[in-house]
Amino acid sequence: MSPARTQAEVEGRRQRARLWTTSGPGLVWIMLFLLIPSAGLLAIAFFSADDYGNPVLPLSTQPFQQVAGFSLLGWDAGNIAIFLRSLQQAGIATLAAIVIAYPLVFFILSRPPAVRPLLLLFVILPSWTNQVVRTYAWLELLGPNAPLSWLAHSLHLLPPELGLAPGSLAVTSGLAYNYLPYMIVPLYASAEKLDWALVEAGRDLYAAGIKLFWHTVFPQTLPGLLSGVIFVAIPAFGDYVVPALLGGDKAMMIGSLISAQFIETPDWPYGAALTLIMLAFTGLGLVAFRIFSRKLGGTGETAI
Amino acid sequence: MIPRKLGYALSGFAWPVYALLYTPLALVAYYSLAPAPNMAGHSFHAYHVLLHDGAAFAALRLSLILALCSATSATALGTLLGYGLCRFRSRNARGVLAQLPSLIIYTPIIMPSLVFGISELIFFNFVHSVTGFLAAGLQTMLIAHITFEIPYVALTVFGRLSGLDQNLFEASHDLYADGLKSFLYLVIPVVQPAIIGGFLLGITLSIDDFTISFFTAGPGSVTLPIYIYSAIARKGISPEINALGTLMIGTIIVIALLHFFISRQRERTRQGVFPPPQQTKGAV
Amino acid sequence: MEQMNRDMHEPPLSGAGTLGAISLRGVTRVFAGAVTAVNQIDLDINPGEFFTLLGPSGCGKTTLLRMIAGFETPDAGRILISGREMQDVPAHRRAVNTVFQSYALFPHLNVEQNIGFGLRMRGVKAPERKKRVDAMMELMQIGPFATRSATQLSGGQRQRVALARALVNEPEVVLLDEPLSALDAKLRTELQIELLRMQKRLGMTFIFVTHDQHEALVMSDRIAVMSKGKIQQVGPVLDVYEKPRNAFVAEFLGLSNIFALTPSTAHKVQTVLGELDVAEPLQGASLAMIRPEKIWFYPATTARERPNMFPGVVRESIYMGAATQYRIELANAQFITGVETNNKAAERSWCPGEAVLIELKPENIMLIEP
Repeated sequence: MSPARTQAEVEGRRQRARLWTTSGPGLVWIMLFLLIPSAGLLAIAFFSADDYGNPVLPLSTQPFQQVAGFSLLGWDAGNIAIFLRSLQQAGIATLAAIVIAYPLVFFILSRPPAVRPLLLLFVILPSWTNQVVRTYAWLELLGPNAPLSWLAHSLHLLPPELGLAPGSLAVTSGLAYNYLPYMIVPLYASAEKLDWALVEAGRDLYAAGIKLFWHTVFPQTLPGLLSGVIFVAIPAFGDYVVPALLGGDKAMMIGSLISAQFIETPDWPYGAALTLIMLAFTGLGLVAFRIFSRKLGGTGETAI
Repeated sequence: MIPRKLGYALSGFAWPVYALLYTPLALVAYYSLAPAPNMAGHSFHAYHVLLHDGAAFAALRLSLILALCSATSATALGTLLGYGLCRFRSRNARGVLAQLPSLIIYTPIIMPSLVFGISELIFFNFVHSVTGFLAAGLQTMLIAHITFEIPYVALTVFGRLSGLDQNLFEASHDLYADGLKSFLYLVIPVVQPAIIGGFLLGITLSIDDFTISFFTAGPGSVTLPIYIYSAIARKGISPEINALGTLMIGTIIVIALLHFFISRQRERTRQGVFPPPQQTKGAV
Repeated sequence: MEQMNRDMHEPPLSGAGTLGAISLRGVTRVFAGAVTAVNQIDLDINPGEFFTLLGPSGCGKTTLLRMIAGFETPDAGRILISGREMQDVPAHRRAVNTVFQSYALFPHLNVEQNIGFGLRMRGVKAPERKKRVDAMMELMQIGPFATRSATQLSGGQRQRVALARALVNEPEVVLLDEPLSALDAKLRTELQIELLRMQKRLGMTFIFVTHDQHEALVMSDRIAVMSKGKIQQVGPVLDVYEKPRNAFVAEFLGLSNIFALTPSTAHKVQTVLGELDVAEPLQGASLAMIRPEKIWFYPATTARERPNMFPGVVRESIYMGAATQYRIELANAQFITGVETNNKAAERSWCPGEAVLIELKPENIMLIEP
C-alpha cells in the first residue's frame, strides 16, 4: 500500500515537466536577456572605473560616493537635487493622472455600454504612437512660438524670449500625458466592477458628495488606483525620453543623469550605482506602498 | 447609477480632456503642412521631401522588420508561456518557486525602460567581447524587443485561457485528442483572438519604444524613432519630422481602429446573426 | 504486506472481457496533503447498465468517475474497462466518453462541429463523420441548431449537445458527472426520462454521478452509495432503499426513523420505544430503522391487538400534496416521523394535538449497522 511515491506526487512532477516545456522557453528567455543583464548592471556598481569609464577590479565604494555628490572637487548637492526633482516630477505627474483619471473613468462608465470600449480606446490610443513623437508633440504645444506660450507672455507670466518648454512644467505635462493610460486602464477595470448597491446604501447613510465618494466608491476602486499608481509612478520616476526632450538643462532628471554615464562621458560604475540607488528608491516605494495599501484594505496584487 | 447632474459635470470635464489628449498630435499634423520655402499657405511639401529621403525610408524599413520579427517571436514564446502557466501551474503550490514565474513575467513590465536598455547594452557588450557574437545591431534590438513583448502576449493569452471552463481541456482529451492535438484544435483556435491581440500589441510596443532600442542599437541600425530623435537633437523640429510623425500617428490610429471594429464585428456575428436562444421545452 | 492482504481479499473478476463492463479492484486515490478521496474501492458494473454513484459532495464519487475517464490515475488498484486494464492508459485512448457538469462545449465550434470533434480527432473521414453526426443530431432532436455556436444555446439544448457529443463516438461506457444539476426542476425531470430512454435504446453502460437521491432512485438500475471515499452499499435501487445496510445509507436515501437497540430475546429487541418484535434475525446490527411511509396510523381508540403498536400524539402535520408527513410524539418524549399517502383509501387526516395509535410492523423494521 505504500508505493515509493503517491500518484499526486507523480502527477505533480509530470505537471511541472509540462510547465517547463511550455512556459520554459519564454521564462528562460526573460531570465537570460533581462534578469541576468540587470543583475550584471547592478554588480558593476561595486567596481572601480578605468580611464575609459569601464568597470575594473578592485571592488570599490567610489561609485556610491559619487552618487552622494563627492568628487575630486569636493561635495556637491547636484545629485541630491536631481533625485528630489525626479521624485517631485513623478509625484506630481501621478497626482495629475489620478485627478484626470477618476472623472474620466466615471464619464466612460456613465455612457452606454456599447460605446465604452471605444471611449476607452481613445484614451489609450495616444500612448500607442511612438514615445518620441508624442513627447516632442508637446514641444509644439508648449514651445516658445506656440499659442500657450504666447498666452503666458501676454499675461506676463513668462519672459517673452522663453517658452513653456523646455522646463519643469513641460516635463510634468509630458509625464502625465505619457502615463495617463496606465492609470486609466486599471482604474477602469476596478470601477467597472463597482457594486452600485453599496453606493445606494451609502446614499442613505452618508448623504452625498465627497463623503459618499470617499466612503463607497473610493474603497472599491482602491485596488485599481493602487496598481495605477505603481504603473505610473515607477516609469515616470526613471523616464528618459520626456526630460531629455522637454526638460532642457534645468529640469534634469535621474534618467538623463544615468544615461549620461553610459553615453556622453562614460563612467559605468557610477552610472550603475545611480541605477542601483534609483531602483532601491523604487523598491522602497513599492514596499512602503504595499504596507500602506494593506492598511487601506486594498491588495495591490496583480492578475497572475 | 451616476446621477444626471454629475453626468453633465463629468462630460464637461471629459470632452476637454479628450481634446487635450489629441491636441499635441493634431499640432504635429498641422505643422507638417508647412508651406514650401518662399511660398505661402499650406502644402504637402514636407511629404514630398520625405518621399525622397532615403535615410528615413531605411529607418522605416528597419522599424518594420524589427516590429514584425520581434512580435512574431514574442507571440510564439508568450503564447506557450501563458498557456503553460494557465494549464500546468499547480494551484496550491506555495513558496518562492511557485511565485517565480509571476515575478519573471512582471519584471519586464515594471522595470524602467532606461534600466532595461542599459542592462542590455552592458550585457551585449560583455557577451560580444567574450564570444564575438551579438554585436550591437538589429539582432540585439530584436532580442531586447522580444524580451519586453513576451509578458504582454503571455498575459493576454493567460487572461483569455483562465476565463475558460477548465473542463474544456479534459473534454478534448476525453474526445481522443492527445496533448498536441488538444493544443492545435482547442487551445490555438480558442485563444486566437488573444494571440492576434498580443501580436498587434507586440508590434505597437515595438514601434512605440525608443529608449530600449536606443541603447541596444548598433552604429548602422537606425529605427524610425531613433531617426526622429537624432534629427530633433541635431536641428530641432522640421516640417519633414512632423510629416513623419503624422504618418506614424495616422498609421497607428488606423490600425488600432480597424482592429477594434473588426474584432467587434466578429463578436457581433457570433452573437447577433442568429435568433436569440429560446427556452426549449423537452423535445422540440 | 498490506498489498498482499488486499489481493487475497479481492473478489474474483467476473464477466471480464464483456464490452461495456467495468471492474474496479482496490482503487485508491490520495490527494496532496494526504487526503484520501477514494479508498480501496471494489466495484463491478455490468454492461448496458444504468449505474449511479450517489453521495454527498466530497464523498469521492466524482474522483472515482474521473479515474474511470482517465483524467486522474489511481494511487493503487486496477480499473478494467471491457476486461482490459486501463488504469495507466491516458484519457484520449479510452473508449469512454464523458458528459460534464458544465457541459464543456467548445466555444469556438458550432453544434455540429462540437459533436463531430471526437470523430475528427480519431481520424474519421469527413463524409462518414457528417453521416454519423447528422444521425445523432436527428436522434437527439438538435438538428435545427446544427450551425449555432455553443454559446447561443439554452441549458437544455447544451445538455443534449453534450450528450450527443459523447454518444456519437459509440463509446463502451458513458460517464455523466451531475449533468442535470444546472437545469431547472421541470426541465430536469423531462431530461431524466429522455436520458433513460436513450440509454435503454442504445444499450450502452451509463455511469451517472449525482448527489440527488431522488434522481438516483428514478434513473438507476443499480446504485452505489458513497461516503468518505468508501462505497457504503451497492445494489439494485429497490434493495438499497428497502434494505439499507447502515445508518448513512438509510438517512441519505430517503427519510428514516432510527433507534438504538439492545437485543433481548430472539426476534425481540429493546429500544427507547420499548420492546419491538422484529422479523429478521439479529446479526451484529445495533440500530433499528423504519421508513416513515411504513408506519401505520389508527384512531387512538383502536384495540392494541398486535405487537409494536404504540399510542402517540400528532405534533406536526405537513401537507405535501400527494402525501402528508406527521411528527408523532410517543411516550417518554420520543418522536417518530410518519407519512401517509393522500389516496382514496386514506380519506382521513390527523390534526396536530390528536391522539393516534401507530403500528411498526415487524417485517418493516430493518436492523442496520451504524
